[in-house]
Amino acid sequence: MFANFGKYFAFICRRERLSSPIWLLSIVCFAVLCASAYPGLLPDKASLIGAMTMMNTPAMIAMMGNVYGLGAPTQAIAMAQECLVWFLLAIAIMNVFLVNRHTRVDEELGRQEMLIALPVGRMTGSVSALAFASALNVLIAAFISVGLIAFDIDGTTVSGAFAYGGVIGATGFLFAALTLLAAQVLSTSRGVAGIGMAALGLSYILRASGDVSDNALSLISPIGLGLKIEAFYSDDPLPIAIILAEGIVLAVGALALNAVRDHGTGIIAARRGKSRASRFLRSPFGLARRLVRNTAVCWTVALFVIGCMYGSVASDIEDFAADNEMVSQFLEAAGGGTMTEQYIAMLFSVMGILCAVPCASSVLRLRSEESRGRLEQVFARSVKRSSMFFGFVVISFAEGFVMLFATAAGMVSASGGLIEFGVTLQSAFAYLPALWAMTGCAALLVGALPKLTALVWAMIGYSFVAIYLGLLLDFPAWTMQITPFGHIPQLPVDEFSFAPLVAISAIAATLTAVGAWRYGKRDIAQ
Amino acid sequence: MAMIEIDGLTKKFGKFSALNGVNMSVNQGEVHAFLGPNGAGKSTAIRCLLGILRATSGRALMFGQDAWRHAVELHKRVAFVPGDVNLWDNFTGGEVIDLFLSLNGREPDATRLKTYLERFELDPTKKCRAYSKGNRQKVALVAAFAGDAELFILDEPTSGLDPLMEKVFQDSIVELKSQGKTVLLSSHIMSEAEKLADRVSIIKDGKIVTSGSMSEISARGSSLEELFLSEYGRV
Repeated sequence: MFANFGKYFAFICRRERLSSPIWLLSIVCFAVLCASAYPGLLPDKASLIGAMTMMNTPAMIAMMGNVYGLGAPTQAIAMAQECLVWFLLAIAIMNVFLVNRHTRVDEELGRQEMLIALPVGRMTGSVSALAFASALNVLIAAFISVGLIAFDIDGTTVSGAFAYGGVIGATGFLFAALTLLAAQVLSTSRGVAGIGMAALGLSYILRASGDVSDNALSLISPIGLGLKIEAFYSDDPLPIAIILAEGIVLAVGALALNAVRDHGTGIIAARRGKSRASRFLRSPFGLARRLVRNTAVCWTVALFVIGCMYGSVASDIEDFAADNEMVSQFLEAAGGGTMTEQYIAMLFSVMGILCAVPCASSVLRLRSEESRGRLEQVFARSVKRSSMFFGFVVISFAEGFVMLFATAAGMVSASGGLIEFGVTLQSAFAYLPALWAMTGCAALLVGALPKLTALVWAMIGYSFVAIYLGLLLDFPAWTMQITPFGHIPQLPVDEFSFAPLVAISAIAATLTAVGAWRYGKRDIAQ
Repeated sequence: MAMIEIDGLTKKFGKFSALNGVNMSVNQGEVHAFLGPNGAGKSTAIRCLLGILRATSGRALMFGQDAWRHAVELHKRVAFVPGDVNLWDNFTGGEVIDLFLSLNGREPDATRLKTYLERFELDPTKKCRAYSKGNRQKVALVAAFAGDAELFILDEPTSGLDPLMEKVFQDSIVELKSQGKTVLLSSHIMSEAEKLADRVSIIKDGKIVTSGSMSEISARGSSLEELFLSEYGRV
């Protein structure tokens, strides 16, 4: 059953020689560099107490977990408090993809079949994948612990560093085992990745709600349990032991299922898809809508959540500004109005640009469909070039509206009534013309310069740098005026003015029209 | 009547000429084999005919009308199967077939669809991600045959099919011919062309080097394969 384990393990090592070292280096470096920043961020007792008090608010607890060690705060405690949860998430994600890649993905693509035909045991693949993941987790845990000891910020202890590294490694192992189990139960690799991510999301949400209302939900969640080690304070090893034990139970279960199931199947058979297309899919517009749907929904949810995060700190905005030099400079630069109004204006000057990303990507989808050779079959039917083109462009225009609305709705709903809906919507929708201009740029590139579509990302990236850093660093005015985002009145702080919005919309329409005209005249090619 | 009429068709990609004045015609009711090795220009010519590529010079007509200018109208009467069928991973085969049939502006005929799904033994509930190359090819073939086109443009349509499905494909072509439909069949499988074709055009370096009816070729006493190899100087 485990024949040729050594060779199989070596084979996985070889296939992983690039991606695993990248994961390892990024997680370890990030963890250690985060720690090394704390002496600069929180140099004295007063700033430490300020930061810890700030973390002891419901919104922050929901995000990063319960606060401990308030009585005797150190830089190491504050660091673990703010950083640990993100590394638990990162290592869990790494393990889900890693184990999936060497189990269900291989099986689905028929690669594992060839290996099993060799003198390789039925369980060798699963055991090797789990062993590789475990080894990688141990390495990451060890490097982080040693790195933290080496940097030795105030409050670092050897037991704390090993607890911190250890819980990251143990959580990684638990998610590796969970993924291995999912790979036995489900027959598609997408399903396995989906289960892994859903389990992670659920753990995070259970932890957030458990931590905020201080109940046992956060102990059910492995993420919540992991944070209970209270690194650099109580350094309780029990959570690590429990997480490892849970992982071992899942791994044993996974291997038991692996031993009895047929190769190429899962315990649960794949769901059968639809045998006919729905009425909504049967047109060029329906096709475009279906192709961008999933990405658009993800972006809407993500922007709503980001909106919530910013909205939830609205009540602490004055403290926040006093603590954070960058924010206070930014708010000053934004001009008059109340603190909350300035906050709204500042947020949308950045969020507006972020909202342009899904809009542009929807238009560029038309080009990526073409380069993957899928449009030939569409245009070989009775389909006008313009109906595909405008299908994507119209969706992108509408997306601008939806994305801004989701951001605004998130901010308002999490602000506890401090941020007014009407004001926020006005501030948000002022950015619509700028989003349309980005859609227009993307449309022009897809139509006229299909090899250079990446330029639209350069435009968006430039806008971000010019607006965000320009305000902080006093760039000359023209750097902002060459992007449409620089011409949008920052409501509710600025005066509303119609002219720039109309002008930008007209430019967007012109760019789109030129793109459509060129698209109708050119070759469709890979 | 000529269903396809190509006249001095030239297509350049930058400095490279993929087509150098192609002349050929396909008459109504015939199966016309379009032969040539990879890279000779078969697919480029077909893409020009379908209005996917724009000819640099020359004319391509279908049903007597300009294939680029009237592409959208003409395609209502045309079915196309590419050699490399690229589909959307998260669509089922059934969804793709329905979509392709509906894009011609008519609702798919459920009984015809069922007939061809059964003939080609295709499970339409599977996601395209899970289909093999042969099965993706079948999706495109079913989408082509289940419509009611008059002209079938097939670009190496059997490259991934097993011998049983190859036979189903050949029977379907014979059936189309008996219904008076026209087929342009690009291929490099000589036996397939020999069995099905009424007339043949051989393309080399972007030019048609030989064309004629199968009876002319057999009257010369050579097989199609011998003719093809001699055009390419391999005899």
